[in-house]
Amino acid sequence: MKYFAIACAFISLTSGCGGGGDSGGGGVSPPPPGSGNVLTVSVGASSVCGNNVDLLCAQVTICQPGTSSCQTISDILVDLGSFGLRVFGSVLSISLSQEVDAQGHPIGECAFFADGSALWGPVQFADVMLGGGPAVRVPIHVITSTFAGQSSSQNPCNSVVASTPRDAGFNGILGIGVFIHDCGPVCETQSNNNLYFSCNASTCTSTVVSLSNQVQNPVSLLPSDNNGVILALPNVPAMGAQALSGSLILGIGTAMNNSPPAGVSTFTTDQNGFLTTIYKGTTFGQSVIDSGSNGYFFPDPSLPLCAMPIQDFYCPASPANLSATVIGTNGRQAAISFQVANASSLFQTGNDVFNNLGGQFSSIDWGLPFFLGRTVCVGIEGRPSTLGTGPFLAF
Amino acid sequence: MGGQKQSRAGQGYSIETITVAGMTIKEYVSSNGIVFAVAWRGTGAPDLPRLFGSYFDEYRDGLTALQNRKPRIRKPLVLKTAHLVVERAGHSRSMWGRAFIPALLPATISPDDIQ
Repeated sequence: MKYFAIACAFISLTSGCGGGGDSGGGGVSPPPPGSGNVLTVSVGASSVCGNNVDLLCAQVTICQPGTSSCQTISDILVDLGSFGLRVFGSVLSISLSQEVDAQGHPIGECAFFADGSALWGPVQFADVMLGGGPAVRVPIHVITSTFAGQSSSQNPCNSVVASTPRDAGFNGILGIGVFIHDCGPVCETQSNNNLYFSCNASTCTSTVVSLSNQVQNPVSLLPSDNNGVILALPNVPAMGAQALSGSLILGIGTAMNNSPPAGVSTFTTDQNGFLTTIYKGTTFGQSVIDSGSNGYFFPDPSLPLCAMPIQDFYCPASPANLSATVIGTNGRQAAISFQVANASSLFQTGNDVFNNLGGQFSSIDWGLPFFLGRTVCVGIEGRPSTLGTGPFLAF
Repeated sequence: MGGQKQSRAGQGYSIETITVAGMTIKEYVSSNGIVFAVAWRGTGAPDLPRLFGSYFDEYRDGLTALQNRKPRIRKPLVLKTAHLVVERAGHSRSMWGRAFIPALLPATISPDDIQ
């Protein structure tokens, strides 16, 4: 229970920073906590996502377009490393509207992730509600390994794709990073993009899809609160916590409750969504800050790796106090202090939330531990806000 | 496919760069004509069965084993199989990856040069 107490203290803190908003919506009352433009997000608290460590999840409501036939789906991974909503077809009890090409053929999609995984299924239109806000009609990816006569092992993604939420560790993914479309101009102009496919009963052929018909970040379609999100998470003790809950607030400086905290710095990303990180004298130009990664991933030969089967994680004898510098394309830079503890010891606690879980990679990925105890604002490409115009991250 | 070849003759290998639908692919070719490494960046993923050739099944089996581990960890991919090292990272709009065969790497190139 003590961690939920921390979460409540934090929520009152964030709503307390809501004064001084410049929304200009004179006379409009702020939404009550937990509704309107606020989603509760959690780690370790739900049935599917709770089987994993440092996996941040929320729930979304999906409706059959133009109807009040709706369904709330839990265990949706909150991911800054992808764009758009993806939900397993097996958890849907409502029917959505299949997207088709000019010939009436259904559109399917492969979505690829940095862990090498891929997801396959049709693109369908849904009315999506985030946090009790207004519904937006948006193409979403309905994860279905058997769509169009394909299978988990034989599909256009050339990958073994997940068939069930249990395989994947979530019921869906809410991609709310700095971009709007999950593919962008490439899939609008290049038919051999190998992401979007026109399918018949058993054959799928790579095809172009207009930007408006691509799977896309539903936040960008909101009538207001559409310039980004604010992710506010409490911190956890050194040996972790069983669970944690925080807030995902829609919009930046657009309402009474989403003014950025005082003193945050804006780090503009490059055109590919990357920031630069300098760690121990080496510059990494393709760094990401990604809530959908489970740890800090970075190269440091001085830190011992853990034994099998967690040999990708660091297992220092005592917690290592580390520092790196994050730099935006706008020249803004900040030193980030972080700690990496022995992953084997952390996992032995049985806890699900850690702010000091780290592992090896050749570039830098600031995963979920980075977000604990921080308020991180995510500015969508081309959208102005009180923190500047996206794409940016601010903290 | 319009390819572009950059020679690194003095170092015993050459790099061929191919651009396909928003994806830039580099093939590292040794002086005896063997592709010992590939690197890519762009939206989505390249045609890995074609790029990895006879090593694709080894890659796919290794990746499947990794993904079946519990807890399932979401992190940039580092996969070491019997003959291959593969890394993948980025986010879905801008992904990058590289793969090389350590046993075939010329002495004049380090894994960090492959990108």
